[in-house]
Amino acid sequence: MSFDPHPLLIWFQKLPNGGYLLGAIPVWFIIAGGLALLVLSVSAVSVFVTHRGAGGKLFLRELSGCISDVLSLSPRRIGALAKLTFLEAYRRKALAVFVVFALLFMFAGWFMGDSKEITNDQVKVYISFVLRAISWLVLPVVLVLSCFGIPEDIRLRSLHTVVTKPARRLEIVLGRVIGFSLIGTVVLLVMSSVGYIWIVRQIPKTAKDQGLLSCRVPVYGSLTFLDRAGTPADKGINTGDLWEFRSYIEGATAARAIWTFKNMDASALDSEGNLHLENQFTAFRSYKGDMKRQLLFDFKFINPEKPIAPNQPLTFTTDARQVNEFRGVTDKINRKLGREGDEKTYDLIDDFVMKDGSLIVEVSCIDREQYLGMARPDLFVRRPDQPFYIGYAKAVLGIELLLILVTIMSVTASTFLKGPIAAVLTSCLLMLGGEDSHNFMDELVFGKFKGGGFLESIYRIITHMNPTTDLPDNPAFVGMRFFDAGLTNFLWLCKQVIPRLQYFNMSDYVSNGFDVPWDASVVPSILVTLGYLVPCVLLGYFALRIRELESK
Amino acid sequence: MSQPGQSNESVIEVRNLTKVYRDFWGRPKVRALNALSLDIKKGEVFGLLGPNGSGKTTTLKLLLGLLFPTEGDITILGKPAADVSKNERIGYLPEESYLYRFLNAHETLDFYGRLFKMPASVRKERAEKLLDMVKLAPQARRRQLKEYSKGMTRRIGVAQALINDPDLVMLDEPTSGLDPLGNRDMKDLILDLKKQGKTVLMCSHLLADVQDVCDRIAILYGGELKVMGRVDELLKAQDETQILSSKLSPEAIRDIEAVIKKHGANVLKVDQPTANLEDLFLKTVQESRERPGHRLVQEGKSGA
Repeated sequence: MSFDPHPLLIWFQKLPNGGYLLGAIPVWFIIAGGLALLVLSVSAVSVFVTHRGAGGKLFLRELSGCISDVLSLSPRRIGALAKLTFLEAYRRKALAVFVVFALLFMFAGWFMGDSKEITNDQVKVYISFVLRAISWLVLPVVLVLSCFGIPEDIRLRSLHTVVTKPARRLEIVLGRVIGFSLIGTVVLLVMSSVGYIWIVRQIPKTAKDQGLLSCRVPVYGSLTFLDRAGTPADKGINTGDLWEFRSYIEGATAARAIWTFKNMDASALDSEGNLHLENQFTAFRSYKGDMKRQLLFDFKFINPEKPIAPNQPLTFTTDARQVNEFRGVTDKINRKLGREGDEKTYDLIDDFVMKDGSLIVEVSCIDREQYLGMARPDLFVRRPDQPFYIGYAKAVLGIELLLILVTIMSVTASTFLKGPIAAVLTSCLLMLGGEDSHNFMDELVFGKFKGGGFLESIYRIITHMNPTTDLPDNPAFVGMRFFDAGLTNFLWLCKQVIPRLQYFNMSDYVSNGFDVPWDASVVPSILVTLGYLVPCVLLGYFALRIRELESK
Repeated sequence: MSQPGQSNESVIEVRNLTKVYRDFWGRPKVRALNALSLDIKKGEVFGLLGPNGSGKTTTLKLLLGLLFPTEGDITILGKPAADVSKNERIGYLPEESYLYRFLNAHETLDFYGRLFKMPASVRKERAEKLLDMVKLAPQARRRQLKEYSKGMTRRIGVAQALINDPDLVMLDEPTSGLDPLGNRDMKDLILDLKKQGKTVLMCSHLLADVQDVCDRIAILYGGELKVMGRVDELLKAQDETQILSSKLSPEAIRDIEAVIKKHGANVLKVDQPTANLEDLFLKTVQESRERPGHRLVQEGKSGA
């Protein structure tokens, strides 16, 4: 597994990026409100400068006009403008993109292996290919259409016949956003339907029967460790390999990896009453031995709420498991837990699921020559699988949400920039929205780089000063640091307005055979899209309102 | 003094309107309009005249809110020019018909109709009525506007301007690009709008058109108002008298000249009146339709 999805919508739970959801809401208001205040202040100053005494009256009149425009939005007019946009794109042959799509799929099979001997990796390639091809075809088309829509309307002056009707500028922006999103959605729906049929037809029945086209529904738990002496620890042993992601427990010692799964009940079992525990552990071997030897471990279910003696919780240890390394293995454990020759039996749900729905599973390594590598997603409860089309549809929804976000940003940019410049700006925002770009910006903003800010680093380069040497404490350097701090704060603001696009990529889940989790990907994508919709549309409206449409 | 069908109620009030175009740095570049003040009354046809660059179109665009005034106030139908709600009662025909070229005539009118509070049935009915009124051929109504001739585009432009049955119609160069037949239709339409009690403001530099339809005119030059008043009063020659009669013999003409001299006046010109070229053209076209194949006029000899 190459990804570790963390749910977003758990109140007060820390997010992977270091923030909190509850913290994100006030940040949204601070950024959106701060930008609105900035725009209003600049407008007020410019009106007072250009109109002097009459500036106040004019500013108030414009402000009340803006409020009136927002309050008198008409769905009928927005619908008319959206339909116009849709027809415009349709009749300007935007749907020609289907030709490229058709060509891709006509010949893709030639380059993607022999379908008679299909493997898990090939299924992954098919699904990735389809979803990426759709994204790369739909998004640029929508970006170009939406960046050029309003500027062309202004250039050809067709907008004159619209703004001289009772259409508000806000309705024009909304109509454009909805219209372009609609045409993109139509293209996306057709392409994704064709793509789905193509995937299903490419994969033979034998492969489907083996479960290669699956949509697993994992329930991930939280992971803690016991060290070799049985003392609780945050992490296992560092074997020098992938320490940040995975740590190890030593074989044949008291070292344990303990997973706690929440919200467990009988619905997690299959129709035969089996709990599916899927694991993908790795091994580090301490000295020379049989490298091909399988991993050896067992599971222990623990319920501290049912002690069998003081300080001795109810436990049940399964038989030892022997599995191959680097391959996901699903263990089916029947809810009736018992051993041969032992009359005592337990019920997995009734006896081991605690009152709050938690199930504790402890893993120990049995082979003294092995260290077992564990990370949070290496063991999960696999709920009954969903049909493949469910996960596929969610991945398509991810593309749809990104498409809407691209349309929002493009239309907004096109209200104050000419088409080509708006297209470049939107493309840059998309490139900067990637996870790596955000991580890099985080490092810049939070001062993780040695050597100081803009001016300080220039000074250090010119004077060959070591980045760890403190700067002299005189007013010139204080001023320099103050300037650098201002620049860093500005960069922080810029970083906040660049969308975080990592949530929108849901194809990795589907191509790896997983369902797309609502809380870790779908809902965050919807929230990000909504978070940009309101400020962007208002910015676009304001830009159109203060603009003389007749001016070249 | 108001004419029949007009009132003293002002539909457009412009006070001290000035527009200065600025460059990128905000420095004044061109003063397109300078301290223009005018009132346009309800029910009149008002013409803005002037050579190219005199500020006619700038005035119209300031009234419509497409440009923002540098100074001055505009009130249209009792509301400021920046108030979008005023557009509910305004129809606008731009200089070129800047319509959406990928729509057909029905879709165009339906689109503009939806921008007003018009139910679908009313929109459909009104669109048909307007397309008949502007005489757009039925077979052309389903074609995209990009296939239209300039005259057809102009006609659909007029139809969109009237889709909301406006009280105030603003026409920018309404007859530009039209053939004489279209020109006459347009002028008839303007007079028909006047009959319906609507106010019309038109910009043009085709003086004959303005003279034919306008009640009042304003002449702009270099962004400044030079002349404003009623067309008939501005054109009336105060120190001459014209008498029109059926054809007279030379003796009768001599007698009349003697009477004029007896009253101390001079005969300036005795001539037969001539029709204007537009009338001749329209008459020729009409008769050609009625009698196809018949040659109506030969060089040096009227066959009509």
